[in-house]
Amino acid sequence: MLPYGLPCAPRLQYASVMKLIAIIEDEPAIRDNYAAAFTREGYAVRTYGNRHQAMTACAARLPDLAVIDISLEDEPEGGFELCRALRSMSAELPIIFLTARDSELDAVSGLRLGADDFLTKDLSIPHLIARVNALFRRIEALRRPQTTGQIVQRGSLLVDGERMQIQWEGEVVLLSLTEFWIVHALAKHPGHVRNRQQLMDAANVVLDDNTITSHVKRIRRKFQQLDPKFDAIQTVYGMGYRWVE
Amino acid sequence: MSLRLKLLLLGLGTLFLPWAGFEYAREMEAALRDGEQQSLQAIAQTIAASLQGRSDLLYRMGGDPGLIPPGPNDLQAIPLLAAPFLDGYPDEWPRNSPFRRVYSDGPHRLTLLAGVHEHLAYLLIQVRDPHVVWDAPGADVLDPAGFGDRIWVAFTDAAGAQHEYLVATAEPGPVHARRIETEDLGRQVAIDEPRISGGWQPMSGGYCVELRIPMSMLGARLGVLVDEREHRGGNPVSFGNLDHESLAPMGRLLIPAPQLTSYLAQFVQPGLRLTVLGTDQAILSQVDALSVATVSGAERGLLPQLYRRLLERPQDVKVVAAQAPIAGADRKQTLGFVQIVETAERSLTLRDKALTQLLDFTLITSALAVMLMFAFAAWLSWRLARLRRASESALTREGLVTTFPDTEAHDELGDVARSFSMLLGRLNEYTGYLRTLAGKLAHEIRTPLTIVRSSLDNLESESVPPAARTYLNRAREGSERLNAILVAMGAATRVEEAIQGAERSRFDLRALMDSAVGAYRTGFPQRQFIAELPDEPVLLHGAPDLIVQMLDKLVDNAVDFSADQATLTLRLAADATQAIIEVDNPGPALAGEGHQHLFESLWQSRSGSDSRPHFGLGLYIVRLIAEFHGGSAEACTLPEGGGARFRVILSRLS
Repeated sequence: MLPYGLPCAPRLQYASVMKLIAIIEDEPAIRDNYAAAFTREGYAVRTYGNRHQAMTACAARLPDLAVIDISLEDEPEGGFELCRALRSMSAELPIIFLTARDSELDAVSGLRLGADDFLTKDLSIPHLIARVNALFRRIEALRRPQTTGQIVQRGSLLVDGERMQIQWEGEVVLLSLTEFWIVHALAKHPGHVRNRQQLMDAANVVLDDNTITSHVKRIRRKFQQLDPKFDAIQTVYGMGYRWVE
Repeated sequence: MSLRLKLLLLGLGTLFLPWAGFEYAREMEAALRDGEQQSLQAIAQTIAASLQGRSDLLYRMGGDPGLIPPGPNDLQAIPLLAAPFLDGYPDEWPRNSPFRRVYSDGPHRLTLLAGVHEHLAYLLIQVRDPHVVWDAPGADVLDPAGFGDRIWVAFTDAAGAQHEYLVATAEPGPVHARRIETEDLGRQVAIDEPRISGGWQPMSGGYCVELRIPMSMLGARLGVLVDEREHRGGNPVSFGNLDHESLAPMGRLLIPAPQLTSYLAQFVQPGLRLTVLGTDQAILSQVDALSVATVSGAERGLLPQLYRRLLERPQDVKVVAAQAPIAGADRKQTLGFVQIVETAERSLTLRDKALTQLLDFTLITSALAVMLMFAFAAWLSWRLARLRRASESALTREGLVTTFPDTEAHDELGDVARSFSMLLGRLNEYTGYLRTLAGKLAHEIRTPLTIVRSSLDNLESESVPPAARTYLNRAREGSERLNAILVAMGAATRVEEAIQGAERSRFDLRALMDSAVGAYRTGFPQRQFIAELPDEPVLLHGAPDLIVQMLDKLVDNAVDFSADQATLTLRLAADATQAIIEVDNPGPALAGEGHQHLFESLWQSRSGSDSRPHFGLGLYIVRLIAEFHGGSAEACTLPEGGGARFRVILSRLS
């Protein structure tokens, strides 16, 4: 698991230079499109077509963020392997899965391997860039001492908007970026029903109903691991969800 | 008509066998009868040959009457069954016998009939006489003044001598004959002949006399003459078969020889009737053993009687007859005929016996055949029904789960079962392929679509001339629609995944529907929604998220198929075991044959087109979710027509 809450070693040597994003994707057109977009945003981009190239390069120099496809050339699960290897190299390297595979199982396995987000390829580039930016902001925020500027307290819930971190009864709930944004959107206006579209907008994703449902289900489970009595997220059937205090 | 019934009817066809057997038996009987006829003919000819030239055996006082055919004056004596009572009444005599002899003169008429019983001959003399004159009472028989109507009987005796007798009376009652003899000196005396006696009775328009003459007195010839007088002592008018002057008999008295019967008796057998006829067809002798028949009807079994009643034809001949002429000594003349009659009872009995056996056998065979055929048909149709059931239920959503019956059988049904099994296997592979096709396709299209979309995203950041911007926007719209299609195509797969990972909890279905209908009112403002919910909460153990999704699909479907401002009805009803959700929408009725396919994957029955992609997955998802809840989904056209009702039954027994 990504230990967001843990203090980590400062990586000052890269702070001043351009952030390096590694894109591991076997489809050249997509790879180049993403690379172009990230470059435009001011990131340094390296692209790799298979796991072997990526591993060799990353071993030489660890990127600041990795965008990984699951199936890589002749390895259908190559992305998972790569994720595991990268996570073993660095505990805090933000990893985003960007894949054509949208099954629940893949998402669960990806997130369990320590990925910060699991996205399907129908995500638009602005959405993707928003996420990448957010992840970098979070790393920055984690390096700085905690400020109270964007902290919202709702009963047992504490939302740190800057560090994109959620605490429940003082304990950090480990959420992916999408999950954080969903909780954030719900908790911002407690008692108000957020429909699925609103949640998708908040999370910068385009998902279908089932995916939202399974996201909410995963969020509940994570809270319930800390507090079995957790039931602050309520389903309003046919409409959406709301946060109750 | 079921296979069973058809084979049963075929089996009944074997009932033609008894019919054919009966026809055969009838043929056989005809042949039998023919043979019998021939043997009878042979017997008749044998008897006739033995009688050849034996006129003495045919007639008493044989002479040879065959040489001279019976003339109008010959009197044929008929055999009498019993001795007539000599009272002058003709009651005991046969009426209208063909052997009567009639002699007339003017208004007068004499009718003569002779009969034989044992050793006595009888004469019946009937006279029509408008004016009956009796003899003078008490007068001398020979006094002409007292003469009334008189009858002369004359015959020859065995030696050929002629005898004449006079019968006259002054009153009705017993009479006897008198012989007139001329004594010495020419004196005539009347001598009573007590052996010839009889009775005399007047009748309307005449009188009737019965006479008895012992056969011993009689020879070959006999005649009767009536002297009819207008008044007592008047001149007589004579008529009859005696010579008027000499009183010589003009005709013969033909009496069958008494030994003929015993002669014939040696030939007779039970069931036969032997008759010897004269040339004039007079019965000379008859030995009758016809009624000593072999088997009487009562002794036959019930079944043969039934057969005979069923099959007997009215024109069936009950007797067989044969006739042979008896030749005279010179072989040219015919003395008479031998006639043999045999009852057909013997051949009929034979036929019946054969027929009974035949019918019994064929009926038993037919019954067995019918039963066998029926059993076979039942077995066949059972196998067919099993095959049908198997083929109906073999292909489930999960694939071919049932093992196909009868695939081991070595007959045609086994072939059918095998090819069915193979076909269903292939179909299963194919539908499995189809089922995953959407998901695979979605996955495969996603990559090129991502290329397009990411390229479009990048293009936004480039300086695009305003004219090209339009096309850019169109390309984006198109790619968005493509994306929506992809999402729709993957929907079923995701629901299947959701079902696999679904967690059950206890929830109130009524509250859920209430809340959902509220959402639909906001979501579809152009439709009216009516919720018919029970008063009590309906607790269900299941996955509420899936139920909502199912409702979404049902309502989506109802909205798609109804017009603007239409009223959709959502209904919930529940009992202890199940909860029933119904969604009614006005609109087109369901197409007739597609009802059961509506809930299958990739079944599409909408005719119209709109911008949203449809893959026939919505109702499939409904079914998946209903089945996850131990229930089922069905659709029907609304009772009033014009609209559809989708019903989901959920089990409340967790």
